[in-house]
Parts: sequence; structure tokens; C-alpha cells
Amino acid sequence: MKELINWVADPIRSFPIFSILFFIVMKYYRIVGTKKFAWIFTAIAIPAFFWFMSDPNFFLIITFPDNIPISILIVSILFFTWFTLHKCAINDQRIEDGLGPVEALPENREKVWCWPNLVYTELFTIIAGTVFLIVWAIIFKAPLEEPANPTWAPNPAKAPWYFLGLQEMLVYFDPWMAGVVLPGLVVVGLIAIPYIDTNPKGNGYFTFKERPIAIWGFMFGWLVLWIYLIIVGTFLRGPNWTFYGPFEYWDFHKVVAEYNVNLSEFLWVKWLNTSMPANLIMREMLGIIITALYVFVLPPLIAASDFGKKIIEKSGQIRYYIFITLLLIMMSLPIKMVLRWLFSLKYIVALPEWELNL
Amino acid sequence: MSKKLEPGMAYDTKKLNKVFAFLSILFLMTTVWVFLDDFIRPWKAVQLEGMQIKKQKLEESLASAEKELDKEELAKLEKNLDEGEKLVVSRSKEIAKLKRELDGVRVRIKEEVIINGVLNSKVSAYTFNYGVAHSKHAPGADKLFVEMKQYKKDFAASSDRLKRYKGQEKKINREIDKLRAEVLVNEKAIKDLKTKVDLTKLALNKLKVDPVFVVRNAPFLDFLDPTLKIQQVVMENITDDRYFQHVPKVDRCMTCHMFIDQDGYEDQKNPYKTHPDLDLMVGLDSPHPMKSYGCTSCHGGEGHRVNDFSAAAHTPRNEKQKQEWIEKYNYHPPHKIQKPMFKVGHTQAGCVNCHKEVEFIPQATIVNEGRMAMEKYGCYGCHKIEGWEHKRKPGPDLVRIASKISKEFFKNWVWEPKRFNEHAMMPSFFGQSNNSQPDFMKKNIAEVNAMAEFIWSKSEKYKPDVKYVGGDKEKGKELISTVGCMGCHGVEGFDEASEKVGAYAGPYLTGTGSKVDAEWLVTWLKKPKHYSPNTIMPSFRLTNKEANDIAAYLLSLRNKKFEKLKFEPLDTELRDEMLVTYFSAFDTIAVAKDKISRMSEKEKTLELGYRSVGKYGCYSCHNIDGFEGRAPIGPELTKVGSKPLTQFGFGHEYDVEHSRDGWIKAHLLNPKRWDNGVDKPFKDLLRMPNLYMTDDEAEKITVALIGQVADYIPLAGVKRLDANEKIANEGMKVVNKYNCVGCHQVDGERGDILKMYDDVNEAPPRLVEEGHRVQSDWFHHFLKEVYPIRPWLSVRMPSFELSDKERNKIVAMFQHKAGKRSFIDHDEVVKWEPGEKAGAKKLFNSLACASCHTSGFNNDEASAPNLYFVKRRLRPTWVEKWLKNPQAIYPETVMPNFWEDGESVDTEVFGGDPKKQIEALTKYLYEIGTMNLPDGNTKYWSKP
Repeated sequence: MKELINWVADPIRSFPIFSILFFIVMKYYRIVGTKKFAWIFTAIAIPAFFWFMSDPNFFLIITFPDNIPISILIVSILFFTWFTLHKCAINDQRIEDGLGPVEALPENREKVWCWPNLVYTELFTIIAGTVFLIVWAIIFKAPLEEPANPTWAPNPAKAPWYFLGLQEMLVYFDPWMAGVVLPGLVVVGLIAIPYIDTNPKGNGYFTFKERPIAIWGFMFGWLVLWIYLIIVGTFLRGPNWTFYGPFEYWDFHKVVAEYNVNLSEFLWVKWLNTSMPANLIMREMLGIIITALYVFVLPPLIAASDFGKKIIEKSGQIRYYIFITLLLIMMSLPIKMVLRWLFSLKYIVALPEWELNL
Repeated sequence: MSKKLEPGMAYDTKKLNKVFAFLSILFLMTTVWVFLDDFIRPWKAVQLEGMQIKKQKLEESLASAEKELDKEELAKLEKNLDEGEKLVVSRSKEIAKLKRELDGVRVRIKEEVIINGVLNSKVSAYTFNYGVAHSKHAPGADKLFVEMKQYKKDFAASSDRLKRYKGQEKKINREIDKLRAEVLVNEKAIKDLKTKVDLTKLALNKLKVDPVFVVRNAPFLDFLDPTLKIQQVVMENITDDRYFQHVPKVDRCMTCHMFIDQDGYEDQKNPYKTHPDLDLMVGLDSPHPMKSYGCTSCHGGEGHRVNDFSAAAHTPRNEKQKQEWIEKYNYHPPHKIQKPMFKVGHTQAGCVNCHKEVEFIPQATIVNEGRMAMEKYGCYGCHKIEGWEHKRKPGPDLVRIASKISKEFFKNWVWEPKRFNEHAMMPSFFGQSNNSQPDFMKKNIAEVNAMAEFIWSKSEKYKPDVKYVGGDKEKGKELISTVGCMGCHGVEGFDEASEKVGAYAGPYLTGTGSKVDAEWLVTWLKKPKHYSPNTIMPSFRLTNKEANDIAAYLLSLRNKKFEKLKFEPLDTELRDEMLVTYFSAFDTIAVAKDKISRMSEKEKTLELGYRSVGKYGCYSCHNIDGFEGRAPIGPELTKVGSKPLTQFGFGHEYDVEHSRDGWIKAHLLNPKRWDNGVDKPFKDLLRMPNLYMTDDEAEKITVALIGQVADYIPLAGVKRLDANEKIANEGMKVVNKYNCVGCHQVDGERGDILKMYDDVNEAPPRLVEEGHRVQSDWFHHFLKEVYPIRPWLSVRMPSFELSDKERNKIVAMFQHKAGKRSFIDHDEVVKWEPGEKAGAKKLFNSLACASCHTSGFNNDEASAPNLYFVKRRLRPTWVEKWLKNPQAIYPETVMPNFWEDGESVDTEVFGGDPKKQIEALTKYLYEIGTMNLPDGNTKYWSKP
């Protein structure tokens, strides 16, 4: 069983599984969003967790002071995701029945005093939060390591937990992309959301059905491309950034057979059976064309589809193009991951001479 | 909602208040917890217990001090004091009057001090003002001058008054003391008597747990002036490498190891124990006081960390202790510490970092023995180690090997030296755990065959030039044990003595008859340099008969089993296969095969031989023609103690302790073990041979090696040899090269052969302060032209063919070790005091010097050195020292002490004055002495 879980946990397998799970959960959110489902899930999860903990290797990873925030993060994300889906399920059912959302009921629209209803309770939160942080700090001492030694770097050298998703991206992308372009676009995209999303529905109440694109898109980026990668980076990456199953001993000497090939090498050597052109642009032509098609041709094509038409109709051309570009760039991550796993593809465009790899 | 809320309220205020109260209490508790967590430190408990121990010790010493106290004396003094007090009371009126007077004087003194101070400042100010005014020709200058003069006068008068008052005060005080004399005297006597008791009581008082102690150490308040606190030393001259900066080392070990530098706590358990060697380490008067060297500069570990037991990077000595620590201290091994503490027993490794560039480190016995073992096994041959470059290759030259042994012998020997000689120092390359599969063995056999062919092809012609005429092997055997061979060689037939001596400079002599032929052996014995100009084997000036006798014995030692071994012939197919592997390193297999097909059979064999010698690194230990200047085969070990643990390949040996020491020791015991369970092609097998060393040797070498670290220490912190020590060290290199220390004990060090003698007077002389004993120019000559000095010795000083430079180095070493760099003026005529010479002659007879030192005085057999040669050989100051007390220099010597405890045996001459007698006798020896050598050769000595 443990071997099976170790085997399944490898991103090659766990990423598709996680993605499929994500789609099932989102698709059947009305079932997932029931209290019954939550109780059944909890009833299964708690013994499963203890069984996991009984393994010395898993115990080591989970109790490592650095990793405790991730455990907290997993539990809170599970809860809040379920909670949202639960609220959405109720409201969507009510809206379908023509009752309007729960938040719109008269007793929920009554106004109350700021003091003490808000300020006082905020103070409680501050105190409780401080107590929590202090107790945490006392029980789990700051996981400071030795003074930095340039000749003896830690292995694995891990980023702070909140950056582990980015670090995981480095496996698939050039540092320029994974470290600068993509994080930059994440920030830009997050800033742009209010300007792109002009759908007034869902203001002040939970709903899924009335804004499916926004929720599907955001949740995919958040859960699959961010949280999942953080979990992988934290628990499943060991020395040399090699994958280790949750029950696997972090053997320093573990070796993984991997050899990656650039798209240009596929094209010229494998498919055309000729030598690589000396001209860089010529050499990388196929990759450049594919990238250009992806970035410049795909948006207008989608715009012609029903999906695109709907968005343009609702929010206009400019918003559509910004949105679709951001979405495509976000999707380039899973696309690249799948290409890597299926074809050992290193870079689509490989121009190390210009420090530009895609 | 059951209860109706006020309008505009989402919650019930009372309920909110309750929540607030609960949270506030929780917050308060957490805050207290923060302070407690900060306050409760493991080392405080340790210090409290230490306080109890100290208290107990002080109480014990107080009890013993009180016991020692002379009660009667004390009672007597107290009685005297009582009486004195009564007497003083009777004088109280006078005393009171004097005290009143004293008060008056004191008022005046105080007053005068103020006046004097004011005047003093005025004098300074006016001097300055006048100086400025005068130089600028200001109008008020003259007036200022007058005022300044006045102040100066006043000041002088005031100072004078002050002196007078002070004189008065002193006088009155003396008078008062005189009136109270009986009290004062007794008080002082009592105080003197009770000093120890009082001081101990005072110390005990400081350890009291009273309210003051509690307040000083209370949480919140303990930032002011706690008594329980972290103790530390900061070392200016030793730094810690914090990677981007070197910072002064800080050690806080003494926070818990409270009494490490105080004697008297030897009986305590850790951490309260006294350092086991206070005279050498940590002690205030030791060469390494705690203030300058701290703890971790030698022990390793993280000395500045006191947060818990594990933080300091303590290292358990074994698995058992580790388990104990886990239970006791929640111990976990250090994580990513460059230099965890050395284990107990490995601490001497810490010496190496500062004591560089010396052959042996005084008192670091384990490191020294480890280095000796490294010398024995020739580690430095294959592995470069800084500071070992001057050493000769550990194995013999192979440049004339073909004339010494047979090819068959060579192959069988190389295959497994221990089959021929179980003491062989040549390690075993073949038939080991990683290469004893049949296909690997076959290839190894081909390699050994090829190496033999290669080395034979390179071997020069050599012909021994002394004939073996047969000899008496019993006599030869005796000669071997008496002449001194065993200072360097173990010998079959003297197994017990060989083991005692443990010589390793030369091979263990066994099976010699199966190895070499008679003529080679006799020639070798007579003149070793004839066969091998590089050898350190000296000539013992053997006569032809002696050489033949020894040869007869050695030739009788045969290894029949080994003689019968037949080495498998060369498998040419495998040879070609291996050559293909070599040639295809940078070429395709087809090209390699083509290249080989164009070579002759002989060329192919020689090529494989050449490659194999390179592969196994034979040239690292042996001089082989064609490999001059090649770097040794093994990795450098100069900084092996700083190599990160992650760079040690533990392979699949999971039982080996995961530490540097663990790896190195396991490696020394079986270097092939890392190949276990690894599938490797033949060419990649680990090549370090098996040395078959003992566990003890491996342990000691490990200690010597883990001390080889890369840590930077400022020059002020390391041991730097001074000019004398440098010269002595250079000489020591020569002394070690020729294994002089195999026979001679030099200032208490080594002298291996002494161990086989029951009577050390029969053994080679021990050299104590040799530079003071002998004259430098004589010594230099003696090393070149050895002649017997002690007629009773059967062991011989051999003739080494030392170069001038080497002889100079040895002489200089002894000179500088003894601090005697002078030469003796031989032209100086002995100057006698009147009657001194007659006295000296009388003494010479009455002390019967000539009864042992017979040479030249009578015809009896001499049992002591010839006194006529003293003049040329010894320094007069040493002779005096020797005469005064020979046993102080050599406790076992048979030379009698004629002036024991400063009392002369002869009480007549010079009235029995030992100093005069010794001086006279010395003068006499130098007067009768000759400048000639025993062979009458004077040429060397005469003045130019």
C-alpha cells in the first residue's frame, strides 16, 4: 500500500490525478458541498492521517518545523474550499428554486453597530492570533540553520514555504520564466482581476453557478497550480530536488534517470535527420512558430468560439484579450509539465545563447 | 436565536465580555509562559547543582581547615587579646585626647587640600595666560607676571603646610597604635592563624541561597546582575569561520563545565569534572590557558551554544553512550556542523591544526603513534600530505630489481605479500572483496604478469661483487641480535624481541633464503649502497666473516610453501581485451583494436604492464624507471578532516558510523568495502589496497588524519616554531629518515630497540642533551667516520653515508635543542690554581677513575670510555654536570656518584669541597686529553 502511494505521489501521476479530482470536485460541488460529505470525508481522513503518521519517514517530514505551516495550510484550505462550495451549493439551489441567496434574506440584511460588533470581535481575533503565534513560536523553535556556508549548500535547498510552488516550477521552466516572468504575470493577473471581471453577480453572496469561468479559472490556478505545487515542493522533494514518496527515506544518493531533449533537437535530428542549423532563429523556428501560434493565433480563434463570444459579449474585446492571454500563460505550466513527462521535452524554444528558454 | 438582542447588535455584549475575559486570561498566561520559557534554561539547573558541589567541597575544606587550626595557640592569643584590651581600656583617656587632636589635624588637612587645589589651578591658568600675553606683547603681561608669581609662592607655601599636617597625622596615629599595641599584635596574630578558615567561610557565604540570591536570579530581574549566568571566554587570536567573516572564537563551555580549570574536582562526574590534564591544557600556568585557547579550538564543536546539550555538537564516544545521552539529554546528532566535537580519545586530533610543520607533536601520543603507523604503512606515498613531502618513498627502489629476485617471486609476492611474509608492509591489491570474482582475478593475473615484464624490462643490470663463502649461521644469528639490525628490522627467530621493538624502517626478515641469492645478500650486507644508492640501510662495518655468518643465517630462513607457488602465465586474450579498454577511452573500440593489432606481443605486454603500474600506483611507493615526476595516485589528505561528510562515499555500508572518523577508520580496515553491492566494470574497481592493519593502528591513524583540517587560524594563535625549534625540526627530519630513533632515544623520545634490552647500559646510548654533551665539530666528524666509544657495547653505531648537509642538520639540531651553539677552543691551555693540579691527580687516584676507564692507564679490560678522548669529544660544562650527578642524566648508569648530596667521597682534597674537586678533575681530563683519534688520524682536527 505504502509503495503504491509512493508510486502514485510522483508528480507524473499525482498531477493528472489531482487535476481530475479537482474537476470532479468542482463539477459535483453540490454533492461535495453537503455536510454529510464533509463528515464522511473527515471520518476517513483522520484515521488515514494517523496511519500516515505511523510511518517514520512521513513523520519526519510532517514534523519538520519548516513544514508545519503547510500542514496548517492544507487543513484550512480543505475547510474553506468545502465551506465555500457548501455555501454556493445552498445558494445555487435556492436561486434555482427562485428564493434568492441566503445572504439576501431580510434578517441577514439588518444593519448593526460597528462597535462592539466589529471592532470588539476584531480585537478578539488579534488576541487569539497573537496567542496562537506565541505558543507556536515556543513549541516549535525557529528553524534557523547553520551560518550560510558557500561551499556547503543545504541539500535540498528549499525556498520559504510560500515560494515552493515557484521553486517547483523551476523544474519545468527556465529560471527566467519560472522566477521572473510567470510570478510577475501572477501578480499582474491578480491585480487585473477586478478590471477584467465586470460580472456583478455574486456580490455579497456565495454562488458558483452565476460565475463559473471566474471560479473555475481561479480555483484551477490556486489549487492545482499553486497549492499542489507547494505540497509537492514541501513534502515530496528531497535531496537534489529528487522526488521522494511520502513514505520514502530521503536517501542522499537516490538517482533518477532523466534526460531531456529540446524541441529543436527533436525537429532537426529526430524528424528531419539533418544537422542543426547554425542560425539560432532558424534552429528554433518550430518552437518560435508554435509559441507565436499559442500566444497570437489562439486568442482570436477562441474568440470565434462560443466560449469566446460569450465573454466578448459580456465584457468587450480588450478585456477578453487580456483575460485569454493570462489564461493561456497560466495554462502553459500544466502543458509544459505534461510535455516534459510524456516526451522528456526540455525547452520549446531553447536559446541559451540569449538566456531565453521557453 | 433564543434571546432577543437589542436593535443594532449582532451579539450579546455580556457574552462578548466573557469571551474577552477568557482571551485576556489566555493572553496573560501565554505572556507568563514566554518569560518562563526564556527563564528556564538547561544550564541554570546545571549551575545550581554545581553550586551544591562547590558548597560541599568548601564545607569539606572548611572542616579540614578548622581541624588543622591550632586550638591551643588560638586560645592563648585570645587570652592575650583580652588582657591587652583591659590594658588599653586603662589608657582610654590618653587615647581619647589623641583622637581629638587627630580630628583637629584632619580638619586642617581637608581645608588645606581645598586651598591647595584652588591655588594649583590658578597657577596653571596664570602660567598659560601670561605665556600667551608675553609672546603677543599684550599690555597686561607684566601685571599677569606679578600675579602668577604671587600664586606660585602661595601654592608652594600651601603645599608645605599640607605636608606638615600630614606628618602630624601620621605621628598621632603612631602614638595611638603604640597605646593600643597589645590589642593590635594579638588581633593580627589571630587573623593570620585563621586566614584559611576565614577565606573559606567567605567563599561559602557567597554560595548561600538567600533572598538576595533569589532576587538577583528572579525572572524579569535577572538582567541586572544575576549570579547564575552564562560564562564565556573570547579568544582574540583564534577565530571562527563564519564563511563571510572570521570572528573571534567564543567558548561558553564553562557555563556547564564549571570547574574545568580548577583542581579538586577530579572525582566529580561530567560536567563538573576537572580537566584531566591541567598541566598541559586549560590550567592557568599551562601552555594552553583557557583564556587564550578556550575549549573548542582543540575539542571542536560549537562552543558558543548553550541552549541545550545537543547544540554544542557533543559527540558520543560510542553507540552505548549515544543511547545514554538520548535518554538523559534528549540528544540528537549535530546537523550540518563543520566540525563536531571530537570523540573522547580522538581529541588529540585537535593538536594538528596549530602544531603544523613538525614531525611529532610533544605529548600528543596518539597522533604521534598514528603518524608512525602512517609512516609504517606508507600512506604518504600515495596520498600527498602537506608537511610530509620530504619523506622518501616508502617502498624500495625497483630500478635493479631483476638482479635481486626472480620474476616468479615478484609475481607471487605482488599477488599477496602476506603469503610470503606475514609482517609484510606491502599492502595487498588482489584477491580482495571487490576483485575476487573469477573473471576479475583472471584479469588481475594478466596485469601482474604484465607488470613483472614491464618492470623487468626497465630494470638495470647489476652484479654483486662480494662472494659468499659460507658461514656459521648460529654466529650470524647472534650477530643479528647484537650488532643492531633489530633497530630497523624484525627478524625471524627473534619473534618476541621483534614484536617488542616493533621496528618498521626495514622489512621483517623472514624467508630471505627463498627471496634473494647468497652473493646479492653478502654484498648488500657489506655495502648496501652498492645495490641501491638511495637506500637508508647503513653499513655496520662488518668483516667478511661476519657478513657471511649473517648471510648464512638469513639464507637458512626459507618459506617452502611460497617457493612452491606457481604463478599462472599471461593470458594474452585478456591482455588484449584490457588494452582495448585502455585505448578506447578516447577512441572507438575498432580504432583501439586496430592499434593493438599493429603492436608486437612484447609491446602489448609492456604496454599493459606500464598501464597497470600506473593504475595501481606502484610508482607512488617505489622508484620505477619511466614514472619520474608523476603525481602520487591517491587523493590528497592535507585537509581531509574538513571534507564535508556528504563527500564521503559510504556506498552501501550502512553499518559504518556516519561520521568522518567512522568512514576513515572503516576505510583503513578495508578500503574495498565501498564496492560492496555495487556493480562496477573492472576498470572502475576501487584500487586502494588492503593494508591489513590492526584496529588500534586504524584508530590512531584516524585520529592523526581527522586533525588535518582546513581551518584558518590567525598567526598569533598557532604554534610557530622559533629559530631553534625550526633548526631542531629540520634535523629531526633527517633523524627520522635514517631511523636514528630506532636505536637512540632522543631526549626521551622513541629508541625502539631499547625495549629488547634488559639492561639499558648494554643498549645504544640514549641521547640526553646531546648537543650539550658533545662538541659540535667532533660530532660532525663522528657521523662521517664512526669509531667505537663504549668498549663494552656489542651493538654498533652503523656508518651512514650522510651528506654534508644532512650531517650539519643533525649536529645543528642537537646544538639547538640543548641551546649550545658554541664551539670549544682547543688551543686554550689549562690554567691551574696553585696546588690544584696535585689535588686533581690525587683525586683521580682516590676515586679510582682508571679502574673502569682503563684505556691508556693500565692493561685491564675497559668498561668505560677512553678518558684521553674526552678533550676532543665532550664539552667541559657537561663533564662537570656529569661528574656532579651522573644519575640525574642517566638514572641507570654504572658511573658512581662521588659527590652525592654535595658530600665528597674524598674529604681530604680541597677540604672535601665538591665544586673545587669537580673543577679540578675536569681540568685534569682536558690537560691529559689528546687531539688524536683512536686511529691516530689527526688531520681532520688540526687547525687550518
